[in-house]
Amino acid sequence: MDINFRKIDVDAYDEDVLLETELYDPDPREPLQVVEDAKAKAAAVRTSLAKGDTVGALVTILDNPPYGPNIDEAKNLTLQTVVTVLNSTKSTDIPNVVKLLPVEAQDTLMKYLYKGMGLPGWGDVSGSVLLGWHEKLTEVAGTGCIVRAMTDRRLV
Amino acid sequence: MVPPQVYNISQSPITSHAFNADRTQVAVSLNTSDVRILSRSGIDWTPEETLSEHDKIITSIDWAPRSNQIVTASQDRNAYVWQQAPDPLTGRTVWKPTLVLLRINRAATFVRWSPFEDKFAVASGARAIAICSFDPDNNWWVAKQLKKPIRSTVLSIDWHPNNVLLAAGSADMKARVFSAYIKDVDKRPPPSVWGEKLPFNTVCGEYSSNSGGWVHSVGFSPSGDALAFASHDSTISVVYPGGPTIYTIRSTSLPYVTLTWTSEDSLVAAGHDCQPVLFSGGPSGWQAVGSLDDSSAPKTPGGARGALTGSSPVGRLNSAAFNTFRNADSRGLGSSPGGGSQLATDTEMFTVHQNTITDIRPYEGAPGAVSRVSTSGVDGKLVIWDVNAVSGMSTRLSGLRVG
Repeated sequence: MDINFRKIDVDAYDEDVLLETELYDPDPREPLQVVEDAKAKAAAVRTSLAKGDTVGALVTILDNPPYGPNIDEAKNLTLQTVVTVLNSTKSTDIPNVVKLLPVEAQDTLMKYLYKGMGLPGWGDVSGSVLLGWHEKLTEVAGTGCIVRAMTDRRLV
Repeated sequence: MVPPQVYNISQSPITSHAFNADRTQVAVSLNTSDVRILSRSGIDWTPEETLSEHDKIITSIDWAPRSNQIVTASQDRNAYVWQQAPDPLTGRTVWKPTLVLLRINRAATFVRWSPFEDKFAVASGARAIAICSFDPDNNWWVAKQLKKPIRSTVLSIDWHPNNVLLAAGSADMKARVFSAYIKDVDKRPPPSVWGEKLPFNTVCGEYSSNSGGWVHSVGFSPSGDALAFASHDSTISVVYPGGPTIYTIRSTSLPYVTLTWTSEDSLVAAGHDCQPVLFSGGPSGWQAVGSLDDSSAPKTPGGARGALTGSSPVGRLNSAAFNTFRNADSRGLGSSPGGGSQLATDTEMFTVHQNTITDIRPYEGAPGAVSRVSTSGVDGKLVIWDVNAVSGMSTRLSGLRVG
């Protein structure tokens, strides 16, 4: 017997329901533009990584990340790029990298860490690498950073 | 430095507290449907009266200092105004309730008297704010509702000093400024930074912080020209409506749920971090100054908090509770009857409040020059703090950033 009443969409009968999209400002960019931006950033990140500039690579990819509905391609590409940067950083360099990130980028990085932990085995996602970054990022940005990653409805 | 005065009021949470004008009495709700009036006797507070009329938990209390009236809001969707009158049988002075017709179909969440004490506003879960004023012809309080464009529960409100404008923080992630102008009660307010023509339900501003989150608390500055709000993304935002310019201060710790201005350039906020934090700034920027809770000072119960705070990293991730769970996980130390007593001391926190602070209010000093504030919280404590006794930036606050 299916007793999970939570599967019933009770909001369907509410004329004045509060929609998810009303809780944040939509991305002003067109979906196509978002994908183009993500591809351009992925290329820029490869250039930065080739020069050994991890901070620059992270700042680039974490700036203005794709959020909202119907842009899964851009979201996946961005997550893949973030994971590539995270995997290619030596664990001894992580504390300095997170310290040099702007505060906005720190909050965005935390969102990607949690997104990656929610997708074990997806692409190159490695749980131990994400946990290492999570520990160092929390030491710098505090639990407030985690709270912001959980509160923000602009899901990456 | 004056140490904070700590009063253990109850074992249960204090939902709300409100002092009378001369601070000799305090009305508290201990998470029940009754209001307790406590009187100061020496260094403690003794129960004096119990006001019973609500039949669900009281969510908010406000005590009008000049007219000496108490207003209470409750989850039973009602508000009562309490006035002192002689009892017809015994002649004793007692608090008499008057029911207010709010016309809301969800819980009342928050209530505040207007500065002139001729109106009060009741926030509610019905996506509405009831603005109540007294109708002398019919001898009752009537309510007019602010509805648009509120999309969810209203969690807190604050009156502008001009008695007309009202700020509201809501679970739809927005802090708003409304006009609560009531014909026959209010005179036309002088133009302010929030606007000139202000008929009822004018929306003078709608603000949110970048990462959103429920707006737990709102407050106008003493002049009314700036608005501060605390939201669930662990930020405090201060709005100057001219631009509008919004300064958002990100905390490295847990979210603040209540705040009060102490002067035109400073405010105190508190919440899940269990300690009041002073912020200061002006139209050109804002920053955190420090905690009013001097974590290096020895505290009477426990006493050993100074030694351990120094090693506490940013954001309290390595807190006592965290260690308890980590020990339970890695070393099998659990809450078994044998090991319980040793672990019990480790769960004490290094702050005066041992749980979330839910209510902070000015205690001493005129608006704009508040010298002491009072806090109450889930730990059942009522604490009075000296606003000037700011301990230097402790380790866990030094990371607060403006963004």
